[in-house]
Amino acid sequence: MVNRQPVISIIGAGIAGLEAARQLSALGYKPVLIEKAPVVGGHVAEWNRLFPDMSPSEDLTGPLRAQTAGVRTLLNTEVASINRLKDEYNLILSDGSSLLCQAVLFATGFHLFDASKKEEYGYGIYDRVITNRDLEAWFNHKDDRRIDHPKAVGFVHCVGSRDVKAGNAQCSKVCCITAIKEAIEIKEEFPDAEVYCFYMDLRLFGKKYEDFYIKAQRDYGIHFIRGRVSEVGEAVDGRVVVKAEDTLNGKPIKVTLDLLVLMAGIVCNPDAQHYAREIGVAVDDDGFLKSRNNVDAITESSRPGVFFAGSCTGAKTVPETLAEARSAALAIHQYLNKPR
Amino acid sequence: MRERFANGFDPFVIPFLIGMAFVLGYCIVAMIRVYFQLPKPDRKRFLVSLVTPRTAWKNIKDIFLNCLIHVKLWKRNKVLGYMHSSIAFGWFMIIVLGHLEVMLFVPERIHLFYYPIFFNYFVAETEQTLPGSLLMFLMDFFLLIILSGIVLAIIKRFASRIVGMRRTTRLSLMDRVGLYSLWAIFPLRLLAESFTAHISGGSFLTIPANWIFRQFLGNDLHALPTWWAYSIALCVFMCVLPFTRYMHIPAEMLLIPMRNAGIKIRHPRKGFALLEVYSCPACGVCIDACPMGVRKANCKDATVYLNRQLRRGNERRIAEISDKCLLCGKCSAVCQVGVEGPELRVAQRERRKYALTPDYGMIDAASLSQHLSDLPFCGPETAPVEGSVLYFAGCMTHLTPAIRRATTSLLDKAGLSWKMMDPDGGLCCGRPLMMAGRSETAQELIKKNVEIIRASGCNTLLLSCPICYKVFKEEYPLQGIRVVHHSVFFQELIAAGKLQVQHEDGLRLVWHDPCELGRGCGIYEQPRQALSAAADLVEAGRHHAESICCGGSLGSLSLGFEQRRPMTQNALKDLTVADPDQIVTGCPLCLATFSRYADRPVHDIAEILDGRS
Repeated sequence: MVNRQPVISIIGAGIAGLEAARQLSALGYKPVLIEKAPVVGGHVAEWNRLFPDMSPSEDLTGPLRAQTAGVRTLLNTEVASINRLKDEYNLILSDGSSLLCQAVLFATGFHLFDASKKEEYGYGIYDRVITNRDLEAWFNHKDDRRIDHPKAVGFVHCVGSRDVKAGNAQCSKVCCITAIKEAIEIKEEFPDAEVYCFYMDLRLFGKKYEDFYIKAQRDYGIHFIRGRVSEVGEAVDGRVVVKAEDTLNGKPIKVTLDLLVLMAGIVCNPDAQHYAREIGVAVDDDGFLKSRNNVDAITESSRPGVFFAGSCTGAKTVPETLAEARSAALAIHQYLNKPR
Repeated sequence: MRERFANGFDPFVIPFLIGMAFVLGYCIVAMIRVYFQLPKPDRKRFLVSLVTPRTAWKNIKDIFLNCLIHVKLWKRNKVLGYMHSSIAFGWFMIIVLGHLEVMLFVPERIHLFYYPIFFNYFVAETEQTLPGSLLMFLMDFFLLIILSGIVLAIIKRFASRIVGMRRTTRLSLMDRVGLYSLWAIFPLRLLAESFTAHISGGSFLTIPANWIFRQFLGNDLHALPTWWAYSIALCVFMCVLPFTRYMHIPAEMLLIPMRNAGIKIRHPRKGFALLEVYSCPACGVCIDACPMGVRKANCKDATVYLNRQLRRGNERRIAEISDKCLLCGKCSAVCQVGVEGPELRVAQRERRKYALTPDYGMIDAASLSQHLSDLPFCGPETAPVEGSVLYFAGCMTHLTPAIRRATTSLLDKAGLSWKMMDPDGGLCCGRPLMMAGRSETAQELIKKNVEIIRASGCNTLLLSCPICYKVFKEEYPLQGIRVVHHSVFFQELIAAGKLQVQHEDGLRLVWHDPCELGRGCGIYEQPRQALSAAADLVEAGRHHAESICCGGSLGSLSLGFEQRRPMTQNALKDLTVADPDQIVTGCPLCLATFSRYADRPVHDIAEILDGRS
């Protein structure tokens, strides 16, 4: 171990930040968690259940929170700016204090694509159009007047993902399975409802994802329609009219729905891009932070002492994020113990 | 005054005569060819316009103001205006004064073509009389004017920024020959007249020059060679003229009367199109104006180069340039001779053969009309009355539902009876097909749409998309039905007091003139008036006819998404020079394009008005 106790700052206390803090604490370090929200847990804490086991997200975030209770956590605190010194980084925090540290871990996560930017889908214009985040909030709190015993529900995949015109050419990776999960949950909640998924490709790469997809069709009767939604209109009664093309049948289709859920994609947290530029850490052309390489150094940046964990480098699933957080903790440990 | 040569001839005039004969012969044949390439009704229309006093007077006025004085160029750029009018008008005056001199002093020589041009060589001492000295003075005066123009032209060629042009045309080889011979003509004339000034007389320019030259040139042996050189320079210029950009001089004199006769491009390469191509002076004003030219990209695709390639017959480049254009019309707006870049390009696109032509004949317009008639009216009336509004949102407004919602809400607030022509989407207006050069196919859609519109019984057709608006207004046979863009319609409702709009103090808006609405349909003021009722209006760096295309235009068939991005960003930069709080436009396509990169909210005019009424 080094003589002096090094300071490690972790920006973001989502699951990546929490898991890294837990591992670093176990290695004997004293990391500092900086979180701009009033609570820890990030996006996952807002989610209801997690695929593929349908385990409540609280099962993940609860123990993580408990096990990092001893870590110094600065809530409601943003990083105002970062300065790069020789072998050290100086973080100026929004409360005016500064934090001198030997290693910085970006666990800044992602931003959900602003679905109102795809105006043709009518988010923010039509009442019955919601996003995946709104739906998860409803699963948690059951408090949303927009969701009132719908008889027909649609899910639009790839909203702001794989869409050059929306500025995001990349795949958001988790929305296919999230849409299937949410479709099943809706069907469980409202068994009479017809549920439609409008997709362009289904990318069900993970363990048990394919089973989910088959179950959704076989056991829940969810309709999968291959074709992007072209536009969404509003009928006189306030229901939404979705126009799409069924590219497998080669025919245009029109469905009237009580609820339309937009699977908003994952884009990089703009704060992370800002910090990265301040200390000369590369940002990739997809807007996410650029790893030293994408094969065996995903958690390492182009600068010594700066590390990444989770979806600041691209869309990630929960298990991937946790694995990266552990990997980053180990990388930081090795970095701090490297003979100089 | 006396004639120096009894036979009134010297061999040095021969090159001039050859050049003159060639250029006159060429131009006459070319003009006859253009005339006979016109379709028959156009030929008749042209002849009628020539003998109609009103158009005949307009022709003379336009030719004088545009070809000689270059009024349009003066308005745009004073230095360039001076440069062009000094050369054109100065030269014209020298020719006129030359003829005047011949008529006054040696009327028996007026039948000799070359006499007015080389008057000072053949006739001596005319400045002794009052008319003589006055004419001599005027000759020198206009020569000086021309020479000052030539100096500016030389400066422009080597440092175009000094005269206010960022980029100027890259000249072809023939253009260079023409240019250098043109530059040579007037200094040579000055020299030639100076060398003979002590014999033939001169004025404030030639007499001092003659005196200076005589100080170190002991004899007159160089006078004749200089007259030869002057004549040869004229010959070279006239002989290459048909193959250079200077063909615009004779071509424009035919273009103006034909345009005044209302003749349009009917064939991509013949008749009026050919005339427009030859009327291009290759000044290069369109290069700076073209919105595709951001970051020095696509400079070779400006209208000036289309005209050049059309003259050369380079089919590959013609197709490339024609397909790439956004059809925003800015090159036409700034063009000094009025070459219609977009129309020329669409005409080229019409030549393309398609393997498949969609058949719209099977669309059942009768049942669509019935469906529309069955739709109830919104508002006080149940049946169509005078003033009932049919609102056609069109495909782009369906993709920007906030506009549709604001427009229908404003119709309700104004207490009008209205119905939507395409609540679940309708037929295409046909404009995208027309822009792609497939107007015949578009006509089928137009026929179907007209049937549906007529069946509705409404006498106002409201459009929230200028792309639709332009085609409905220009191509649809809708006599008795008013076709109106929503910005104009709402401005009228506000002016008539039917819509109450609250003014929000301190909110600064900038209006973006969409290409199709502004340059396309000439609507600039009504949207500004309507917006002024709602907030404070500021102007963009370039506005009205000079407004910059958003880059999202349907016009381009080949520009990719990433190539358009700098164009949009450039347009946004120009729109926000006065730092407005919001950007407002009247075109759903501009709105969608700007929203992608704008750093502040972008709204449709209907949204702004609806939010404050």
